[in-house]
Amino acid sequence: MSSAARIRPKGPQGRLGSSLDLAIAVGVLVATNQLPPSCTDGLSFCGELGLNGSLRHVPGMIALADATAPLGMVVPLCDVREAALVRGDEAHGVSSLADLTEILRDRTEWPAMPPPGALPPLPDTPDLADVKGQPVGRHALEVAAAGRHHLLMVGPPGSGKTMLAERLPGLLPPLTLEESLTVTRVHSAAGCVLSDGALVSQPPFRAPHHRASIVALVGGGSWSLRPGEISLATHGVLFLDEMGEFPVTALEALRQPLEEGVIRVSRAGGTVTFPARFLLVAAMNPCPCGEGVFPGSCRCSDAERARYTRRLSAPLLDRFDLVVPLSRPDPAALLDAAPGGSTAASAARVAAARQMAAARPAGREAPMHPDAARLLALKLRDGALTARGLHKVSRVARTVADLMGVERVSEEHVSDALCLRTARATVAP
Amino acid sequence: MSPAGKVLPEEAFAAALASVPVMGPATLRTLLATDTPSAAWSRGSFEGDVARIWQRHEEKGIEVCWRGGPVYPRRLMDDPEAPAVLFCQGDPTAINRHPTVAIVGTRSPTRYGIGVAAQFGADLAAVGVSIVSGLALGIDGAAHEGATAAGAPPIAVVAGGLDDPYPRRHARLWARVAEQGAVYSESPAGVRTEKWRFPVRNRLLAMLSDVVVVVESRHRGGSMYTVAAAAQRGIPVGAVPGSIRSPTSEGTNSLLADGCFPVCTVADVLTALSLQGMVLPALPSPTGAGGGSVPTGPAGLSQADRALFELLSHDPTSLDQLVRLTGLELPALCGGLERLSQAGMAHDVGGWWERA
Repeated sequence: MSSAARIRPKGPQGRLGSSLDLAIAVGVLVATNQLPPSCTDGLSFCGELGLNGSLRHVPGMIALADATAPLGMVVPLCDVREAALVRGDEAHGVSSLADLTEILRDRTEWPAMPPPGALPPLPDTPDLADVKGQPVGRHALEVAAAGRHHLLMVGPPGSGKTMLAERLPGLLPPLTLEESLTVTRVHSAAGCVLSDGALVSQPPFRAPHHRASIVALVGGGSWSLRPGEISLATHGVLFLDEMGEFPVTALEALRQPLEEGVIRVSRAGGTVTFPARFLLVAAMNPCPCGEGVFPGSCRCSDAERARYTRRLSAPLLDRFDLVVPLSRPDPAALLDAAPGGSTAASAARVAAARQMAAARPAGREAPMHPDAARLLALKLRDGALTARGLHKVSRVARTVADLMGVERVSEEHVSDALCLRTARATVAP
Repeated sequence: MSPAGKVLPEEAFAAALASVPVMGPATLRTLLATDTPSAAWSRGSFEGDVARIWQRHEEKGIEVCWRGGPVYPRRLMDDPEAPAVLFCQGDPTAINRHPTVAIVGTRSPTRYGIGVAAQFGADLAAVGVSIVSGLALGIDGAAHEGATAAGAPPIAVVAGGLDDPYPRRHARLWARVAEQGAVYSESPAGVRTEKWRFPVRNRLLAMLSDVVVVVESRHRGGSMYTVAAAAQRGIPVGAVPGSIRSPTSEGTNSLLADGCFPVCTVADVLTALSLQGMVLPALPSPTGAGGGSVPTGPAGLSQADRALFELLSHDPTSLDQLVRLTGLELPALCGGLERLSQAGMAHDVGGWWERA
């Protein structure tokens, strides 16, 4: 006997995919009296059916589990850990349609949850101890992680920009359960292979290439609306290497999510909102030849430099609290420098700083030493800082003070914050 | 040929000859070696609207100097390679009144180079030396910024037509030079600045100068054309010594090795001009930027800040290097640097630090 089922209308987000295969199959079995109708009471079904009756992986299981009515949920065995994140014991995994009919007819036990270890663990994030020298870069990473300040590193090739950025997720505190669920939902919806145990518990690190399309970056697609790289980086780090090479349109598309923490993707078929609350870390050469940070060593013409920096609009540049100049470590530093501090040591400082910031009553101005305020006022009067810049510098100074475990923002903290944005002069359009 | 009832001056024909599309400098020179511009024009049966070309130059206030004309620079008369027709904005006789020193160099200088060029420009102009330069970005512009402050009339030599200031960023400086002195070009009005015209401009720059000073230049910088042209004519060339680590001093340091005289103070230039016997009006004690005394700063500076200042040099040092040298934590180091920069003893260049 053969049956065909057709689902109309399509969902607003486009094609629903094959996740309803299992529900349709069970419906047909009940309709043809091969299963008693009562056996499906209190159950929902979700899964793709293979031609041999096996149940196959469905992307976005955690979101589907969110969306179904609070009933028992039958899913493919490979997806059950993911569904269990939100449904707990109500999620049941089965490996084939034959198994399912047997269980439903004979009322036997559901199969046990597969043990962790089925999927390879994620590679470890690299450790900061591998980085020699680079005191400014390390310091900038800690400040960025502690205060969630967006960071732009400007330096010639070989100054360790990428190496530093890759180590930033290790400095961030582990995700809270709430954050983990959000991150896992996004990853699941994008069809990413999830780490073992399904729940993403470490801050993600996404490093899209500069030739990535805008859709790949911000999300979208014509068949179904998928989250893009910026959503996958939620609660983690979005790293744009060679930011000067990204298309201007792609960079400008980042501005709204940077402001609001979400990205709204609109298509003819509908609009979806994805989370996009990430720490933006970017790296770029000071000019096309890459040598421009050291004054006088650049070989680019004036027009070339202007063209290069024009890609960065002032509003985008304003999103970066930290614009840090990096230099190639000199050979002496590489050879004699004692191994740098480890990720663990930095992460501990970051955690302490965040705790200190969290302990401050929300909305209360942090105390500032009169000398620090005087320095800020001086910079404002000189025109070295705009009002917006002033606000940013004082926020960064606050983070520096937190990192040092000091309650009161001092003149030195403000000086530090000022030093951490000196490369603006190099890349400002 | 000319509209009835209006007699065009020789200058109009000189401008028209220079505006003929196929006219090269050598042909122009041959044509005007024996004939006046109007005679050369009618003999060569060139095509072109002389009246309109002349009108364009008159409207823009562009003087036309031709060999044999009254305002042609005297110092070019004996040069066999000198252009036969020159265009000038400003006072074409200004160049005859003062000794001239060319200050040239790279378009992407360090702060050191900019400072030296501006200081030499100002100091030389103040003692009555006309500064000749190319109005390019970088050293050229800095020299004229200094020279237009006061003193002898500045002279500029540019590559393109005088109706279209290039580079645009120097349009104001250009206007100031034209007002106080003169801007010369071999190109008639309406000619765009093309690449091949720069070496030609650099040669003319050398011809108009009594001494050439190169402040900062890379190994194969455009200034080297000026140097070569000067050397051919026996015009003394001086070079400002720079750091052996700085790429912008590669050219100048190798010029010194080749026997150019070192320029450390304004007096070095005046010596070369054989002007030492001149009464120099109130020249500040001749300290070049290189030999400047170490500023001592306000007395309130702490021991640590003074030690930090000792570590800084006139070459930019990265913050990373300073951390390594001082062993300080970043907030403490940045605080010290901030105090030094407020005392006017240090400043940062895009994140690198050097003595002010």
